[in-house]
Amino acid sequence: MMMLECDAKRLLASVGVNVPAGTIWRKGDSPPSLQVSEYPIAVKAQVRSGGRGKQGGVQQVTDAAALAATANRLFETGFGGEKPEVLLIEPWLAIEREAYLSVAVDGRAEGYVVMYAPRGGVDIEEGPPPARYPVGAPWNFRAHELRKILKDVEPDYQWREKVIALAQRLVRVASMHDCSTIEINPLAKLAGGALIAADAKVVRDEWAHFRNQEIHALREADKGRVGRMLRDCLDMGHMYVRLDGDIGLISGGAGMTMAAMDMIAEQGGRPACFLDVSPGPTSARGYRPALAMLDADPQVKVILVSVFGGGTQMQRVANSVKELMAGRKSRKPVVCRLDGTNVDQVPGIFAEFGAHNHARLEDAVSEAVRLAGNAA
Amino acid sequence: MSILLDRTNRVLIQGATGQMGTFFIEDARAYGTRIVAGVSPGREGTTVGGDVPVFGSVRAARDETGADTAIVFVPPAAVLGATIEAIEAGCRLVVATADELPVADTIEIRAAARANGTAFVGPNSPGLISPGKAKLGFMPSFCYREGNVGVISRSGSLSYEGAKRLTMAGIGQSTAIGIGGDPVKGTTAAEALELFHQDPETSAVLYLGEIGGSEEVFVAEYASRTDAKPIAALIVGKMAPPGKKMGHAAALIGSKAEGHQAKVAMLREAGVHVANGLGEVVSATRAALASRPRAAAVA
Repeated sequence: MMMLECDAKRLLASVGVNVPAGTIWRKGDSPPSLQVSEYPIAVKAQVRSGGRGKQGGVQQVTDAAALAATANRLFETGFGGEKPEVLLIEPWLAIEREAYLSVAVDGRAEGYVVMYAPRGGVDIEEGPPPARYPVGAPWNFRAHELRKILKDVEPDYQWREKVIALAQRLVRVASMHDCSTIEINPLAKLAGGALIAADAKVVRDEWAHFRNQEIHALREADKGRVGRMLRDCLDMGHMYVRLDGDIGLISGGAGMTMAAMDMIAEQGGRPACFLDVSPGPTSARGYRPALAMLDADPQVKVILVSVFGGGTQMQRVANSVKELMAGRKSRKPVVCRLDGTNVDQVPGIFAEFGAHNHARLEDAVSEAVRLAGNAA
Repeated sequence: MSILLDRTNRVLIQGATGQMGTFFIEDARAYGTRIVAGVSPGREGTTVGGDVPVFGSVRAARDETGADTAIVFVPPAAVLGATIEAIEAGCRLVVATADELPVADTIEIRAAARANGTAFVGPNSPGLISPGKAKLGFMPSFCYREGNVGVISRSGSLSYEGAKRLTMAGIGQSTAIGIGGDPVKGTTAAEALELFHQDPETSAVLYLGEIGGSEEVFVAEYASRTDAKPIAALIVGKMAPPGKKMGHAAALIGSKAEGHQAKVAMLREAGVHVANGLGEVVSATRAALASRPRAAAVA
């Protein structure tokens, strides 16, 4: 879960990282009163996606009149599909140079990796790849190891030492505060040599919600931004990604859901979503919001329920489907393919309400694709 | 043979008295898994699943029953404590199937497992099964049969589907291991491949992968070795849009190399028999089985 820049910087400031003195301007609030001497300032749209700088989301402003006009414009502009609700106002920094520093979770490193590039900024992805220090577990950070790696990359030894000290702190912060990414780009050098986090992107690990109030609040806020039907699904633990097709897929397990999506496409159909219900309850209570959301979605013409369960017992899923179909108003066709533990009990349960369970995913997908075509 | 798990493993269950624990005891025992102890602090002295003695600590269970393998069914917040207890008590294999585990905890467990020479499988994984011998997880038993194909999967239900297709085609498995959907893993694809490489009765490996992450890079690296066993693979997520997390924390296309097309091309380049979709899993595995290992071809 990505934090807003202003929240990320507050976290960094709380552990002693140098960040610009910022002011928050919430949409609908009156503009912050600034002294003439405080201009020029940077006005920065606060959104949860990258590439904001290239889309004009950071503006230099030199007086109060320009501030109002810029703010009005930014509040009405979408960045990565999201209009900012908050602007961050900071002094315009006199930057001498821009570097890049990040700490991230990395499978290859078996833990955290530190990445550094002497030239940062908005074009970081076009430059050569940053130097990599695979740390692993956070207590394995060694300043001298990173120094060895940075020696050929960063000739300014005073700056280099500051970077090493900061990297060490960020690895600890990532571990203690459950951050999967802390990226400072640009890591700016001010006239006089001071180091400052001019921008900050911090991604938190949502599964640490039980021990971190801030992450818990982020999760709740994320749920608050979606519609009621999707929120009901998320409350059950379901995972949802909207796609642009017309076959609504209710599936179990991330890999199997993607496999079904791919098979729909192979057979000439288009999946309307990735909807993995396996983290939720197997009861009708768990499946109800998923079915309700796809029933209500005008883009969805056919619903394909595809579950291959191990710990999830199929007679329970079949009974949930039976219960939900009994009280259902929508007439969208529902195609089922249940397989796995106790699947031998499914045909009997389905016979009670005249439904058919496909033995093979291929057949279920082909029927769903055919029905979606007919519905068009 | 098999990897990590066979009839000799003496299994203890942490969180034995919960719903998952009791279901597991019944299901896994029916399959032949030797379950010798349960661990539920505060419930020591009782039994579970009929006659399985419950202990208050892994150490006590180990001392009394000779348990050497642990499977953990405790809530995510308790997984760190339970797994490290099992690792430090000297278990040779620890399996944690739990999803929703903070990655910082996985990093710590992995480090502890390495320091103690313990094999750790999970998290966010279905566990593992050595067909005809034993299983540590909830995989549906009928999907598997004994044989010579090793299966490695990033996803639980996809591994059931893949194994069932092999089984119905008459292709058995030595071991099917779920390495899990998280970015940091107890056992990585590279480590699982090395285990299958050492196993004389595994002739080929079926790898079930996904978009996102760099696990497939290591599969390709292994396949490029001159002594590699033949590999078949399926990579799901062809239809996944970039920048979106597809359920698994690691299933997110962050760069072009993590996309479907790039992974398939890289694996094919390395000589992996890549299936175009689930429907080709059996034929790709057959092709792998029919191809001779490179070392043999050179000799």
